[in-house]
Amino acid sequence: MLFSSIVFLFRFLPIFLFIYLLVPEKYRNLVLLSGSLIFYGVGEPYYVLLLIFSILVNYGAGRLIYRRKMQKKRNPKAGKGVLILALVYNFAMLFTFKYWDFAAENVNGLLTDTGWEIPVLQLALPLGISFYTFQIVSYLLDCYRLNFYRGHIKERASFVQFAAYVSMFPQLIAGPIVKYEEVEEGLKQRSISSRKIEEGLKLFSIGLGLKVLLANQIGTLWNSIMTAGAGNLSAAAAWMGAFAYSFQIYFDFWGYSLMAQGLGIVLGFQLPKNFNNPYVSKSLSEFWRRWHITLGRWFKEYLYIPLGGNRRGFLRTTFNLLVVWFLTGLWHGADWNFVLWGLFFFLLLSIEKTGLGKRLEKSKVIGHLYVILLIPVTWVIFAISDKQQLLCYLQNLVGIHTGDIIVGSTQILRYLKEYGILFIFCILFALPYPMRLYRKFKNKWYVILIVAVVFWFSVYEIMIGSDNPFLYFRF
Amino acid sequence: MKRLKKMIHNCSYLTALLCTWLFLTAGGIALMFYRDYDAVKWSEFCSNPFFAIIFKEEMHRAADPVLPEKPVMAEADLSNISNEQTKAHVSDLEKAHSEQGENQAPAVNDQKPQTGGHRLPPPDREANLPKNDLSADEKQTGRTVFVTYTPVETNSIYYYDAGKLALTTEYPYTTVEEEYFDDAVFFGDSRTLGISDYAGLNADFYCENGMTIYKLLDEKGVTDQKSGVKVNLNQVLQQKHYGKIYMMLGMNELGYRDTEYFLERYQEVVEQIRSWQPDAIIYILANLHVSREKNNLETEFNNININAKNAAVAELADGTDVFYLDSNPLFTDNDGYLNDDLTFDGVHLYANCYQEWKTFLMEHGVVKKDEG
Repeated sequence: MLFSSIVFLFRFLPIFLFIYLLVPEKYRNLVLLSGSLIFYGVGEPYYVLLLIFSILVNYGAGRLIYRRKMQKKRNPKAGKGVLILALVYNFAMLFTFKYWDFAAENVNGLLTDTGWEIPVLQLALPLGISFYTFQIVSYLLDCYRLNFYRGHIKERASFVQFAAYVSMFPQLIAGPIVKYEEVEEGLKQRSISSRKIEEGLKLFSIGLGLKVLLANQIGTLWNSIMTAGAGNLSAAAAWMGAFAYSFQIYFDFWGYSLMAQGLGIVLGFQLPKNFNNPYVSKSLSEFWRRWHITLGRWFKEYLYIPLGGNRRGFLRTTFNLLVVWFLTGLWHGADWNFVLWGLFFFLLLSIEKTGLGKRLEKSKVIGHLYVILLIPVTWVIFAISDKQQLLCYLQNLVGIHTGDIIVGSTQILRYLKEYGILFIFCILFALPYPMRLYRKFKNKWYVILIVAVVFWFSVYEIMIGSDNPFLYFRF
Repeated sequence: MKRLKKMIHNCSYLTALLCTWLFLTAGGIALMFYRDYDAVKWSEFCSNPFFAIIFKEEMHRAADPVLPEKPVMAEADLSNISNEQTKAHVSDLEKAHSEQGENQAPAVNDQKPQTGGHRLPPPDREANLPKNDLSADEKQTGRTVFVTYTPVETNSIYYYDAGKLALTTEYPYTTVEEEYFDDAVFFGDSRTLGISDYAGLNADFYCENGMTIYKLLDEKGVTDQKSGVKVNLNQVLQQKHYGKIYMMLGMNELGYRDTEYFLERYQEVVEQIRSWQPDAIIYILANLHVSREKNNLETEFNNININAKNAAVAELADGTDVFYLDSNPLFTDNDGYLNDDLTFDGVHLYANCYQEWKTFLMEHGVVKKDEG
């Protein structure tokens, strides 16, 4: 079920909230859990079983680790065996469903002469598996570190608490990747007030608006440019497409995260912030501190730092960064262009680490220009999986044209006429001011009115069918 | 009362949403009675709130257009031609070719029609055709050939496998110059928009994304690609004279009602246009197939459905002033899927492909002898 679907907005959500708010507090986790499973099961009737199985396995693993820890309080390595087994299970699931075919195709490519062949499974990707796997792994590692690494999880989670944490429908399918400590208090006891419901619903509506009214609309421009063909673009058209896609992916994902955050508030949780105006950054390292914050945090805490972070000398740091960015790329999708995308960031971030980044962040204009021009290029790599097309598009961006330019100035003028105003809105909402204004005046009647209009206008757009699914669902 | 007031004050946003919802729902129910719709089906109610009717009203209206009054004479003439003659013509042809079709059936079957593909007929197909009637007739008449095959079972309310493929109307076409298109007009959806954008033809284009045969003559109008303004085709077609009319519609209709309904409306629109443009040559362009990836047998969006729609409208081609042109062979692979190298989204061609399409259209000019 999508947040931006009529079934969710007018069937699932009202009924769920009604029951959720009505039942006594001690049953709320159970209601949340069953609601979330229904939410997931409607769209993925078979894979919901996989989700339930994963929850059972990992709950057991978490318990075992916890018990080992309690038995051998002095031994920091207690529970390591269980942890490793559980990690193997989780990553094996992720690998099978997400990466098997990609790996098989590449290995088969190498094996062509030997006559060996690995079967391609062609499994559909279970919705949100990348997100919930990472969330579960963070829980297991936090459990394991209970004794020697900042003891954050205070008490063992009950089954319902753990299951609700993993499957909580606001964040189940596209994040944010929540750490258990962030919802631990809420899962034990949470207060629900009319003020919070208000606040959450408003945030949700704004997210819906960003997704439906900005991301989807600007997305059609990117689509028409790609439909015309990467080989036929003038440099200006290519840049226009790159900017359109940059806005699409940002508002799509930020909108989703805001909706999740808003729903979290309605339910009584404080989910972490996932975006902090990334496009106003002055360097790419700053960009990644502001973009998909919870994913960056996961890789930092559970991979980069355990690998040694930047404390083991220059070479080791570079290697660690390489691993992190290779996997970050791969996490976004099972294809080489995602790996390339990750490695591109690795390269640029390594250069920034030499001191360039600090300088850029101090600059007034150059830093912004640098980010504004580079980010669309990275998104182009991200967006196009076909090698030929990608190469073609990148060449177009720098003005090398292999074919005839068919999408030239006449088309650009048309696009500008059609999308000019939308572009202005996109730029406006990529700046921090609209949200700042909103936070300042959010309880004024006119802001409430505007948000309500945004909500109903989004509903109208969904109804007449110009809606398309979230980009980030692919991952 | 005081508590309620306090609640509303504390939850003003929620209250606003709920009130709007109630208001819209009431409106939806009222509209349902006013328009005399059947009671909303339970299954539909599960996925759509009542107020969906208000939003969908537009679509309902567009789908059942009230066509403007037609001149009685023209209607009689046309219905005569298109209903009886065309159908008789077609059924004759079908009879004539059913043998051939049966001969081919095994071949087509071997080629797995269940994939939804549209196999091209064997190359010797053309040579088998009796050509004598073309030269024998004083007035040249083309014929539209259907290749039959064993239909695949489908389970959809929108379509069933017609079991036949329509081929381009056979006719001694003339290769024409670009001037041929000076008095031509194109009607269509996003794919026709592509021709408008990238083929560089000097014709009038009335097309836009999501256009359907149901909406074509709607009063709300269609975008004139030359000026970018919406125009009412009822007026345009009565005022302007066109020599050639190209229409390619059917994609956005795949998931609305069934093929019969589609054909019925299509025929009405063609007749309507004919009554305004009695001398024009009408080209019915085949809807382009979709790629293997886009071909989805679970939904209505697949080549079997497209073929069914194409085969239906191809029956309107009488070979004298209505012709059916199938450009699919230009862009599809051996299984009838749109070639992956030619498309990004599996539905639309890359901009550079439209030159080939243009050439195809230029090779299929119909020049009447008496016109010189």
